[in-house]
Amino acid sequence: MVLLAATICLVPAAISWIHALSQPRNIGWNIATVEWVRQHGGNPLVSQVENWYYELNAPSKGGPPLKSLPQVGVADASSHEDKELKHPIYRPPPIKPLIHPALPGEGVWHASSATAGARPPVLLTTFRSDPEYPQFVAGVAWLDSGRTHLVYVPGLAEPPELEDRGPAEVPPAKRDELVATFNGGFPLETSNAGLIYRGQVLAPMVNGIATLVEYRNGRVDIRPWESGEKASPKVVFAKQNLPPIIDEGKLNPNLSDGPEWGATVNNAVRVWRSGLGIDSHGNLIYAAANDQTVESLAKILQRAGAVRAMELDINEDWTSFISYRHPGAVEPSNLLPEMFRPATRYLEPDERDFFAVYVKGRK
Amino acid sequence: MTPARITPGARARRALLVDAIAAAALAALALSLAAGLGVVAFFALPILLLGLAWIGAERLVRRLRG
Repeated sequence: MVLLAATICLVPAAISWIHALSQPRNIGWNIATVEWVRQHGGNPLVSQVENWYYELNAPSKGGPPLKSLPQVGVADASSHEDKELKHPIYRPPPIKPLIHPALPGEGVWHASSATAGARPPVLLTTFRSDPEYPQFVAGVAWLDSGRTHLVYVPGLAEPPELEDRGPAEVPPAKRDELVATFNGGFPLETSNAGLIYRGQVLAPMVNGIATLVEYRNGRVDIRPWESGEKASPKVVFAKQNLPPIIDEGKLNPNLSDGPEWGATVNNAVRVWRSGLGIDSHGNLIYAAANDQTVESLAKILQRAGAVRAMELDINEDWTSFISYRHPGAVEPSNLLPEMFRPATRYLEPDERDFFAVYVKGRK
Repeated sequence: MTPARITPGARARRALLVDAIAAAALAALALSLAAGLGVVAFFALPILLLGLAWIGAERLVRRLRG
């Protein structure tokens, strides 16, 4: 009887699952299946299984020191700017290494593109982020707010229930201006947060939640939302994700687990994590690394100069920062070589929402 | 009207019908109470696979015992 009941139950589930997997998507059937379970009431179950898995496979402290860091970018960012520019421009200081002796190039910013000129719009670096785990390497990207324009791009499935979703990839017509792309935040279902897209509220905004917001004047900011559920006419997009992890230059004192951190793996579980911060000059800083807790991710962003920051998506399947070395999205490159998704991820329709970074003044 | 004596085949069919009705009721209950189809599949699939493995193992043991 139980077997028959299980079989009956599996009929509608199988129909729904097959329908979900037959939709266009750029993820494997296994990830798609996990996503299907999440979207059909199974998110707490999946999160619990993920917690067990990651706790069983937690990395050990110590281990042999690294001898080199992955090479990022194409050139030292400070090599020609002073010679070519008439007026000094702000460039972020190198990230001070935490482990000594420092490895060659550790914390030193490199231009992401071979044709970036004297004022590269995107700088990249890597550094070892935790003395207790000397093999952990964090990848960090700095986006010049004066030279870049950030665009929110809806994915194939996220946000859900969006009528005019667009291509879910970087439009071919915009690729000459493309310099970087990076992952969005948690799906709305698990983020306890809101979303404004093209000035329309797709999910009610939540006060106190960390928000990446673009205003009509082009300014981009990250800050705790304080404007209520509705959209201000000044806002183009606003993407919320969990409470701030850094505010006013300080780590959130409540980085330990709690329901406010979304319906997903625990904050202390070490997993691929990504985050986005803003420095005191208004430039965005993206960071990602494997085996991070929310607290260690916040410390990476703080060390890189972020004064306010939010966590973005987590897990190897969703964490991506891709820079493009030449106009036309030619030679895409992941920020860290061990990033799981291919560097061409956002050049084809993607499951989740993401951000595209375009350089200003290149048509 | 129930005949006083029923054949073994009829008894088996009746048992199967009772099982099927109970299974349908159990499935309906599970589908209505669960948070979604994902949860139902999460539990139903392992139950089905374990049950089938159990039946297979039982048949194998019976055959080996001759």
